[in-house]
Amino acid sequence: VNWLYRGKCWRFGDSLGIDGDIMPLRFALAREMDPMVLREHLMCEIDPDFAKRVKPGDLIVGGRRFGQGNPHIQGFLGIRGHGLGLLAESIPRGSFRNAINAGLPFLAPCPNVTTLCETGDDLEVDFSTGRMRNLTRGETHQFQPIEPELRAIVAKGGWKGHVKERLAARSSHQSEAPHNLFGR
Amino acid sequence: MGQTITEKILSRAEGRPVSAGEIIHPVPELVTCHDWYVVNFDRALTELGVDKLFDPSRVLISTDHEPVATTPQSSERQKRVREIVAKYGIKHFYDVGRGGLGHIFPIEIGMIKPGMFIEAYDTHVTNYGAVGALGIALVTEISEVLALGSVWLRVPETVRVNLHGATRPGTSMRDIAQKLIADLGDELVDYCVVEYGGPGLASVDIAGRHALCNTPLEIGAKSALVEPDQATLDYLAPRTSGPIDLVRSDSDARFKAVIDYDLSAIGPQIAMPPTPDNVHSVAKALGTPVHHAFIGSCASGNLTDLEDAAKILKGRTVHPQVRLYVTPATQEVARQAARSGLLEIFLSAGATITQAGCGPCAGGRIGAMAEGETSINTGTRNDVRRLGASGDIYLASPMTVAASAVTGAITDPRSLLEETRS
Repeated sequence: VNWLYRGKCWRFGDSLGIDGDIMPLRFALAREMDPMVLREHLMCEIDPDFAKRVKPGDLIVGGRRFGQGNPHIQGFLGIRGHGLGLLAESIPRGSFRNAINAGLPFLAPCPNVTTLCETGDDLEVDFSTGRMRNLTRGETHQFQPIEPELRAIVAKGGWKGHVKERLAARSSHQSEAPHNLFGR
Repeated sequence: MGQTITEKILSRAEGRPVSAGEIIHPVPELVTCHDWYVVNFDRALTELGVDKLFDPSRVLISTDHEPVATTPQSSERQKRVREIVAKYGIKHFYDVGRGGLGHIFPIEIGMIKPGMFIEAYDTHVTNYGAVGALGIALVTEISEVLALGSVWLRVPETVRVNLHGATRPGTSMRDIAQKLIADLGDELVDYCVVEYGGPGLASVDIAGRHALCNTPLEIGAKSALVEPDQATLDYLAPRTSGPIDLVRSDSDARFKAVIDYDLSAIGPQIAMPPTPDNVHSVAKALGTPVHHAFIGSCASGNLTDLEDAAKILKGRTVHPQVRLYVTPATQEVARQAARSGLLEIFLSAGATITQAGCGPCAGGRIGAMAEGETSINTGTRNDVRRLGASGDIYLASPMTVAASAVTGAITDPRSLLEETRS
């Protein structure tokens, strides 16, 4: 798995909604799960040409509460469909799980990251170590990487690949809590 | 270093001591799912090639979102749910007319005990915190737990809320629960468990504890629970056998914050559109005409809630422009409401009683609003279209909803309670 991304910065503000801002709600309601379909509509309600302008390796930089709202996974699948990485000042819990389950390389929380770069900057991010280099500004910043256990899910391409692997290794997993209060 | 209730519960479920921030795979003692997602998890499991659940004796399915099928499609879905329950051998199936609302009746029948760890499809499983259990919602990842018995979880931090004093007449724990989330704020409680304790907790009954544990997830809390106490033991004694371990936080447990909250300082509240934490004193919305009213839901569908509503509705009638739906949360609440005469009060007032369950709050499948109407209700959320068509939704206590249904406009229930007394 390649954790090193280099590309153009696309900076957004605070509280981008998962439904609407990042991906039109209709794809969540239709339970569309194909990243190649969803990529065409990424951020289209903010910038209709966004999907045409981004290139693989580019980096979305979000502010606080990136992906807020009813936790639907489609927006994160759309980001992955383009081969983009994501850094955000914060991601609400439901969307954090969805970003993992979508198999998306990301860093969050990244305090003040929206002040450390702007749209058009040349960025290099190592998602396994949390290091961000802003080559335009000549600065390097360090964030906390996602835990290894969660990066392993991303490395499997997301939830489905991860669960398939767990199912294959099922025999080695714990199947009962040590003291079960549920005596029925 | 001591542990919080949440850390203790998760330590037992993980089989080793854990603390906030760790990534773990705790094994739940119960997994719950409602009627609207059973077909979906079956499809997900089938796609993964799974034909056996990790432990069907720990799985509970409740038909509460649409107990009375309203279309041929929903009758077909109910049939599929029964087939799927049989296929996997799921042990705890509470179909139409049996349990009722799945976040409430398992507590009522003594299935949920202090210290238990439960995972669920639906978000409001946090209600199980009313007896000191930890309920965590997983939404679609429920399929992973059903197949494998666990899913990753980051041990949440805890925000401790110490309650003081007691509520004043005309104010209920629903008002407190609503105001509390607005006061705590999403910044503080994001991914935390809200733990209630303090001297004021003793005066809060089981219905009030449900309300307290129901609202925090609306602002991003992972769950909520009360520190189990003598009232918990008294509640559980007739419902369950065997020893009960009152799992409490250690005196040196680490909390993200400790908040003191005075129950006597709060009057009737109202959550204005479009979010449950847009909470103001009811005074701010007085006189707003309403067309649709509903009392029930996992936040406010217990017997105490119906008794509160009946205090207002007794001897009065619902305003001609308003339709009022009353949904007892469970079959048992409905039975007690019948026995104690509450249903007679509601029916005499012109209210409509619906089958036990979620009622209109489950997406407005029954008793929906029409376009441009205004609703006041005790449901959990007031997003646009939560109850079908678009229109303003106000959330309030059962007393405030009942008072507003009587006058046809948003009303401070204390004005009608005073009339009742005089």
